[in-house]
Amino acid sequence: MAKKDLASVTTDLSALASMMPTQRPVVAAPRAVEQPVELRALKAVPKPTQEEEGVIQFSLSMRKELRKQLARLASDADMTMRAFVLNALKEKGLSVREDDLVDLRRERR
Amino acid sequence: MSIITIATSKGGAGKTTIARLILGRLSLSGLRTAAVDADFNHTLTDWVRTASKHAITVENELDETQIVSVVSRLHDAHDVVVVDTAGAAAQATIFAIGCADLVLVPIQTSSADIVEAIKTVNLIKSASLMMKRDVTARVIMTAYQPGTNISAHIEKEVAKAELPVMEIKLHRLVAFQEMSFTGLVPTSGLAGLQCMNLLDEIQALGALPEPVKLAS
Repeated sequence: MAKKDLASVTTDLSALASMMPTQRPVVAAPRAVEQPVELRALKAVPKPTQEEEGVIQFSLSMRKELRKQLARLASDADMTMRAFVLNALKEKGLSVREDDLVDLRRERR
Repeated sequence: MSIITIATSKGGAGKTTIARLILGRLSLSGLRTAAVDADFNHTLTDWVRTASKHAITVENELDETQIVSVVSRLHDAHDVVVVDTAGAAAQATIFAIGCADLVLVPIQTSSADIVEAIKTVNLIKSASLMMKRDVTARVIMTAYQPGTNISAHIEKEVAKAELPVMEIKLHRLVAFQEMSFTGLVPTSGLAGLQCMNLLDEIQALGALPEPVKLAS
């Protein structure tokens, strides 16, 4: 059996693969660089909070097995299922911000 | 110089068991064997590193941007590379399929196994079309219980779905389960025979370097 050239596999299949979830480990967001003292006095333009934009509940039906897989994948990525789904949609172009990925359960506790 | 990918989007179908059987038995035959473990649970990696008594190289790689280069690197230095994928549809699985000479799609005796096997075989067909080359795919029945209604039903469903199927069926045998603790692939008894028949069939499909003298 001849040695196979695998160079084109990634290129040929990237479109098909892009429809699938990634397994890439989630990289933690880089720590914010501390602002110089002189800039701290400047008031940052407040971003609209989720409350201002109106957070809505969104329910999703899926097979039990899928729900289990989602829970496992999210747990492996140390994320909530909500954050995991949003993160995946972000890769598809949804405008997801860092604060959208905050674990809301911790806030409620 | 061959690459065998084991894939199905259903978890617990027997992917890692098949990977162990192929790798262990081929290493006994003197082939240089390597595994790429693309499963979150890294069960195959753990087995190779902690239990296996066979000479197998293993790398755990979940990152789809890396998997082709890892397979390629191991392919350069080994006779056979087996890629064990995650039990869920994922980008890494697509690329692992793209690298393969043969994709084995295990199914156990449940309807979910058949549903996911159909999806996986369709995925392999799509990958073949996009790469403009055929990737051989075969469904393989695992944890098969001969003489039961459920096994007969599964066989009927597989035929109805026109899935390409391996003749060998791996039975639900204690020896296959013991392998996870003993680190040894069975070489005797029914389990040993089924393991040998599995490799014979893989060889007949042209997915092993030739000539391979399989250890008996």
